[in-house]
Amino acid sequence: MRSQRSLANGPAGFLLLALLFATGCKKEAFIYEVDTVDLAQFDGSKDREKTNQEYAAILHANLFQTALSANDLYKIDQCIQSIGDKQLAREVIISNFMNKPGVIIPSDSSMHANVDGFIIDTYNRFLVRQPTEAEKTWFRNSIAADPNVTAELIYFSFALSEEYLFY
Amino acid sequence: MDRRKFIKRTGAAAAGLFAAPYILPSGRLFAASGAQLAQHVVFVLFAGGVRQQESVLQRYLGDAQADDVEGNILYNMLDGAPPSEKIVYGTGLGGINPIQSILGQTLQQQGTLFREMRAVSAGHFGGLNSLLQGNTAATQGLQQKPLNPTIFEYLRRHGGIPASKTWFIGNTIGNSVPLLNYSLHPNYGAQYGANFFAPNVTFGPAGDQYLSDAKVYHPQDQLMPIYEMKAFLDNSFENLGTAPTSIGNTPEEKQDIKAFMAEMFTKTQNGTIAHPPVNDSGDLSTVGYACEVMKWFKPALTVVNMSGVDGCHSSFTGYLAAMHRADHAVGHLWDHIQNQIPEMAGNTVIIAIPECGRNAQPNAIRDQNDWYSFDHSDSNSLRVFGMMAGANVPSNLSIGGEGNQVGIVTDVVPTIAEILGVKSEVMGAGLLEPGTQSLFDRF
Repeated sequence: MRSQRSLANGPAGFLLLALLFATGCKKEAFIYEVDTVDLAQFDGSKDREKTNQEYAAILHANLFQTALSANDLYKIDQCIQSIGDKQLAREVIISNFMNKPGVIIPSDSSMHANVDGFIIDTYNRFLVRQPTEAEKTWFRNSIAADPNVTAELIYFSFALSEEYLFY
Repeated sequence: MDRRKFIKRTGAAAAGLFAAPYILPSGRLFAASGAQLAQHVVFVLFAGGVRQQESVLQRYLGDAQADDVEGNILYNMLDGAPPSEKIVYGTGLGGINPIQSILGQTLQQQGTLFREMRAVSAGHFGGLNSLLQGNTAATQGLQQKPLNPTIFEYLRRHGGIPASKTWFIGNTIGNSVPLLNYSLHPNYGAQYGANFFAPNVTFGPAGDQYLSDAKVYHPQDQLMPIYEMKAFLDNSFENLGTAPTSIGNTPEEKQDIKAFMAEMFTKTQNGTIAHPPVNDSGDLSTVGYACEVMKWFKPALTVVNMSGVDGCHSSFTGYLAAMHRADHAVGHLWDHIQNQIPEMAGNTVIIAIPECGRNAQPNAIRDQNDWYSFDHSDSNSLRVFGMMAGANVPSNLSIGGEGNQVGIVTDVVPTIAEILGVKSEVMGAGLLEPGTQSLFDRF
């Protein structure tokens, strides 16, 4: 009895206990098939305002998919500076671009054929990011509800948005 | 509650509803309390640096150069005989043909002349800021928007004036001029700012290329959806940077301004802008478009900037010509208001003040007539005149004189505020230069 007690209290007993703890009941890790979500801001933390020339260069590239010359950018910059209401100035410049040949805008029929694809493409083109589900839903509803909402008007609103002024 | 009490309280509540303050679009609770002296003010920044000697003192070449020829070259603004010889400020080869006066009666006769006022800055941007802020702008940066509220913001905030009724017409987009339409002050700022055009750019070759061919969208069917979608996008965007500039034009005001721009491009192309009879300088061209702005919008306040006289850094001859043209511009403005804009005729006050003077002593540069040029940095640069005329302004009155300065250039802010009925609010804001007061209080 004495030797048995000493065995249980000795190093072998300690090892046995440690082994039991190590290999005993383990909490099972459940995976519910939810992807890891990045909690960063969906607008990409755009906090720097574009200069007039940057704005014009990117706008022209987005609408015509060609670049403007430095001289043209300089002149557009002057035009924006010469008008006190900058939003008004941008509206007029966008309106001028929209009136020129060569603007590349999806047709309304192709937009209606694949509304989700159009929304995603537009967000990518102008805001360089994916739309959230809420944003997709809002635009989907707007396009469905208002026959006046065309691809051109949607492009116009993106080009006029505050987010488009930042990078 | 008995019947009598019920009727009494209901009546009191109804009376309270009727008497409740009317909240203006500007956010103010009550309409401006002060009585207006006029419905419109045109403020000419007679800028670029004008020496007293060649303007109100009428010394022509007698003070600045070795030639003993004196006389008045501001035909529309001041009384006085013109120089009898060495005429260089007019038109034609050598400028020998003076531009005839437009006004039958000088502004000096029609209004009040402050013969010598004190400028608070010897620099252009500081001077312009002092005229628009009513403050010395001692800490004002050169490429920085005004630190204290401008007269535009005072009027819009305290007078409930819409954006399209306050206009700043600049002669350039250089020298930080476009920055002057509103301040960075936290209690005022962009939302109370003025509309601005630099017409020589807006309606010049660059504007013609990029602004003149705007597609016209239907206000309800097309623009409204655009604005709605923009509003949604803006709400989704967490703006971490500087808030984009918006001076608060309503959609209707924007439409009106776009229509005005379209009209200006057409008129520019057709050569029918209301330019002065002689239109051979940037200042004169600017004033032509200012006349068009006034005719279209009938603003409560129109500020026009000129600066051609600053050529005096290197050409005294050019300086004299530019000053003569600035006078021509002022005469044309006033004549246009009286004869072409019935809504403003007899109901407008015009004010003209330089932002600073120029030095007493010349620099080393001589022009084509071998005349010395002048910079602006000494005490003579702080001597300017001031002039106003129009509704409720005493006529044929002359105040102060050489060695007897009356008034500070900062006075113009409370003066305009008094004319348009918000003087007490502007004075009460506590942001004016100490000692500043309405010019009407200087009489």
